[in-house]
Formats: sequence, structure tokens, C-alpha cells
Amino acid sequence: MSKKIVMIVVAMLTVFAMVLSACTPTAAPTEAPVVEQPTAAPIEPTKAPETPAEVPADDGKFTIGISNPFISSEYRTQMIAELIEVNAEYMAEGLTTELVIESADTDVAGQIQQLQNLMAKNVDAILVNPGDVNGLNATLEEALAKGIIVISVDQELNVPGVYNVGIDQKEWAKTSAKWLAETLGGKGDIVQIEGFPGHPANVARMEGVAEVLAGYPDIKVLATDTGKWDEATGQQVMSNFLAAYPALAGYWTQDGMAIGALQAVMAAAPAKYPVVVGEGRCQFLKLWEEVLKTDPEFKTIAVANPPGVSPTGLRIAVNMLMGKTVDTTKLGGVNGESFVIAVPWTVTNDNLAAALDVCKDKPDAYLLDGIMTNDEVLKTYFK
Amino acid sequence: MKKTTWNTLMARHPALFALILFVIIIIINAILQPGLFALETLNNNMRVFLPLLLLAVGQSIVMIGGGIDISVGGIASIINCVLATQVGLNGSMEDMWKFIFISLLAGVLAGAINGFFIAVLRLQPIITTYATGFIYAGFALFLLPNPGGGIPRAVADFYRTTTPFGLPLAFSVIAVIVLIWWYVRSTRFGRYLYAVGGKADAAYQTAVPVNWVVFSTYVISGLMAAFSGIAITMLSGSGNAEIGSGMTLNSITAAVIGGTAMSGGVGGVAGPIMGTITLGLMQNIVSFSGISTWWETLAKALIIVVALAAPGIINLFIREKK
Repeated sequence: MSKKIVMIVVAMLTVFAMVLSACTPTAAPTEAPVVEQPTAAPIEPTKAPETPAEVPADDGKFTIGISNPFISSEYRTQMIAELIEVNAEYMAEGLTTELVIESADTDVAGQIQQLQNLMAKNVDAILVNPGDVNGLNATLEEALAKGIIVISVDQELNVPGVYNVGIDQKEWAKTSAKWLAETLGGKGDIVQIEGFPGHPANVARMEGVAEVLAGYPDIKVLATDTGKWDEATGQQVMSNFLAAYPALAGYWTQDGMAIGALQAVMAAAPAKYPVVVGEGRCQFLKLWEEVLKTDPEFKTIAVANPPGVSPTGLRIAVNMLMGKTVDTTKLGGVNGESFVIAVPWTVTNDNLAAALDVCKDKPDAYLLDGIMTNDEVLKTYFK
Repeated sequence: MKKTTWNTLMARHPALFALILFVIIIIINAILQPGLFALETLNNNMRVFLPLLLLAVGQSIVMIGGGIDISVGGIASIINCVLATQVGLNGSMEDMWKFIFISLLAGVLAGAINGFFIAVLRLQPIITTYATGFIYAGFALFLLPNPGGGIPRAVADFYRTTTPFGLPLAFSVIAVIVLIWWYVRSTRFGRYLYAVGGKADAAYQTAVPVNWVVFSTYVISGLMAAFSGIAITMLSGSGNAEIGSGMTLNSITAAVIGGTAMSGGVGGVAGPIMGTITLGLMQNIVSFSGISTWWETLAKALIIVVALAAPGIINLFIREKK
């Protein structure tokens, strides 16, 4: 009896296949073929643009697609919200349509599907925050072949034709590492808490830190552990470190874990606080302010990792679509196709008050940020 | 009267609901995305679904035998890392074939390890494969700590763009799986499998080699996970030790949407095949419905829950009507 099902299914598949092969014109792959469908009753007022990719869709407006494979972080939430905000400016000017956003927790295959759906929706440009450094290459090349402008934000890719927009992760880490080494006077015992081992951003950052510390032979790294870019894990790792090495002179960590690490130190309530590396998040700045009340000598640094690089990337995409020429001499990175964005905030005790001012009307999770204006983008990167 | 018809229908044909859902989802997707049946779009979709499809078929066979295998994602990751590190972007076709063969052996071995613990040592399947899953994922990370490596571009392009008989490559793979399954079901092993999954004690008393059957389901699952790992490597063209981690739970979801019972003894391969495609198309539906970004995840999860709960809800309605 269940054999029957199999037979039915096989029969169905065969029929399905025959119908498909019958009604599929052997189309050139770059066309957007309109296949006859039983769409007698369109459920929604779908305005699917049916034009080839190069020609801007309806009334000359550009459509920009976003692909984001990870949503469980404030960074990504802020990124998406800012993208929508910046695009609203261009919509008001009549330059772009509503963003097409593909954003959900997914794996490599899922992000390939996101990109394919964006292509199927005939977007003119794709901003992708890649979840894998190489796994999307072939799919992105397909998008390029359709004449779509592809920009990788936040994570540098090495695909010819794909532009990158982001901060220099290595330099970013070097800034705080250098500050730590100098503040310690070039000597002392420290520990490190890193992000996901093997994640490209983490690898670049840890290389930067190692390079800086190589210049300070009297600074000893007692231990390194991973806090997985997670606040709670960072706190736990720091607690363990404090138990093992009570006389730490300082520690280096990254965004996502610095809040947890500092909380662990605060829980231990030392007479003199170690020199610590923080993060550009409002919650951290508030903790910092609190610690200063108990130990006025407390020193830390927060280097912002701005989600604003993505909306800046959006501005770059719009200007490229408008036919403006990129000044390639201004680009850098692995393949010379990277727009390297300057870090907008480096907070120390000197400018803590100004940073806290920004945080006043923001939630605790807000990340210190910076989005380049359209004029700045034009002046910095275009001819 | 109607109740018995529906109930017996569902009991006899567990994949029937999957088929109904499958057709509904295809129709909705086709309405929202008019170009769905264009060869390019169809192939783009199917090449993304195929790795999970292979995994879900293996998972279903374990589930029919009354077990569960949550190490499959780890096995797929190992295969991905083996191919990406050993073949390389500039590797020869000879190497590719050699390591595809080694990959299949590795999959069988990993499955056999699971099978040994569960069938011979009689450990709980869920705990055992949870633990071995970590071992496999850890081994993958050991092989390839940083994402990278790859397979020759020609191999990836073959997987991505080949359309035999003017149809996506995945259709041929599905046809082969269905044919093999059709044959296997008619063999003694096929009957044993359902007997073991349905009532292991009774099967044992009627001289069914229960241990061997259970053992073999994990070996099959390991082999399918290896095929899945090969497919995902060809899709992405590169290596990443994390690549399979999200696929395990999806393979179980696809199997259940396809009418495979978690309690064992019920299911087939047509179910998980349709279940995987249904799951993938749900993503497209959410994407093409133009729903606000912030609701995407919730919407997709709701569709899945409704799909899983629907047979039960229908039963409830029928009962009340009576």
C-alpha cells in the first residue's frame, strides 16, 4: 500500500518534469523569462520589475538588495535600521525604490538562496554582509555577470569585481593594543579574550594585536581564551582569569565581550583596577562612568566598530549606479577594491563625556557609530 | 464516517499530507514569483536544496528505524573540510574523484561509529549522536581551523549549472534515490526496517536481526551525510568547518514535514524529498511576499509550525464535527 505512494509520487514527479520541460523555453540564462502561470488572481499588487538588470527598473529608480545571514546581534539590527533610514533619503529624492532586504539567521546555502532571490527580483545593486569568506564567490560572480553592482560590507572578500566597504579590522585592533601597551608603560602581565577563532575578522584583529605586542617584550601575555563575542562568555572567561591571575596589570579584549569582562572585574571589586580594553557600546560607557566613581584612576579605551559602514556602502552603491566614477587610487585592501572607512570614535577618559552625551537618548545596546554623508562619500571616493 | 476516511488515509499514506502541502507551497510560491519555473530559477533553487535533501533522506531512514541522528551536520562538515583541504582550488580531477571516494568511506565510517554505540552498546540515539556530532564537528575544525581551501572551479560549475535532460541536476539525483528506495523497500531489509521501527521487541521475537538493521540505518545516514557534504562543497566551492552545523535540525524538520514519524516505523524517502523542497520554498515565499524584514524570521517559523501541526489540527476539526 505504501508502495502506491511511491508510485504516485514518481508519477507526479514525471508529470511535473514533463510539464516543466514542455513550458520552459530554452532561454538564454541572462533573460528574465516570463513563464505562463495560472496567475489569474494576483493576490497582492506585486510590481515585480521585469526589466533586464542593467536598465533601472520602473521610472528609472534603482533597487538595492541587502543580504544578511545573521540577525542575533545588535550590530546587525542597527545596520539594517540605518540602511532603511539612509535609503529613505534617496527615496525622497526619487533615486531609489524601497530596499529589498533578505535578512534571517541562515547558513551558507541559505545565503546563496538569499542572493539568488535578490537576483530574481532584478535588483541593481547588492549589499552583502557575507557569512562565509569564500562560499559565496561563485554566486556573487553570477550576480556580477548580470551587471549587478556587488558590495561586500563589514567583511572583506577577494572576488574580482566585488567591492568591499568596511573598517580595517587589523588597524582597528592595533589602536587599542597600542594604547594598552603604552598605558602599561611597556611592561606587565596581561591576558587576552578573543572572538570566534577562525573568524576572518578575529584572525585579522589578533594578528594586529600580536604585531603591536611584539614591540613590547616586557609585556607578557599569560593566557588567551575565546569569549565567542558573547557578553556572558566574556564575563565567565574573565572570572576564571581573575581567579588564576589575581595580579593582572591589564587585558585586551574586543567588542561584544568587553562589557562582560569589565563586569567580572567589578564583581571582584579590586582595590586598583587593571588597565582594560573596552568597546564602543553605550552600556560599556555607562559601566566605565560607574567604575570611575570608585577608582578615579581607572583607564580604558573604546574603539567603535561602526555598523554605519553598511549605510555608507549604500551611498557608494547609489553613486555608482548614477554613473559616477570611483577614484580607484583611493581604494585599498586585499584586491585593491576596498573602500576603507575611518573609525569614527576612539573614546578615552578625555572624551568620555562627549561619547556619553551621544548615548543619552540611545538604548544600552547602541553602538557608537558614524555614517558618511553623501557629500563626504563623493569627496572621498569619487572623481 | 468522514473521520475514518481521513484518519485511515493519513495512517496509510503518511506522505499524503506532505504532498498536499508541497503542492500548495509550490502554487503560492509560483504566484508570488512568476519566474519560478524558468530553468535557471528552478536550477538555482534545486542546487541549494539538494545538500539538505540528501541529509533529510538519510535522517528519515534512521527515523523509520526508530532512531535519530543529530551528528549528520558534523559528518557533512568533515567531508567539506576533507575536500577543501585535500583537493584544493587547483586540484586535478583525479584527486577530486579520489577524495569523493574517500569522503564516502569516511561517511560510512562515521555512521558505523554511531551505529556501533547505538546498536551494539545500546546507548540512547539522541545522546550518542549529539556527542559524536561534537566529535565530528570538532574534527572538521581540526582539519580546517580557518575557512578557506576549495575545489576546482570546473567541479563547482558542473554542479551549479549542469541541466541533464533540460532539467536541474537535482531532479536526476532525486530520480535515482527514489528508484533505489523503491527497490530497497521490496527487499527483506526494507520490511525489517519498518518492523524494527514500529515494534522492535516484536520484531526481535520474530527473528528480525534488530541490531543489524539499526546499525545499518546509521551507516546509510552517514553515507547520505557524505553525499550531502560533497554537494554542499560543490555548491559553495570552498571549505568551512561550520558549514553543516545548521543543517542537522533542518534535516529533522524536513523529514517530519515529509510525514516521517519521530516514533519510528512510518515514512519513506518521497516525504523528506518533498519536505526539503517545501522548507526551501517557504523561505522564498517569505522573501517574495514583501513582508517587513523584522517579521521574516517569525513568519517563516509560523509557517513551519502550521505545516507541522496541520495534520493534528485537521484531525481535531473532524473529531469536533462528529
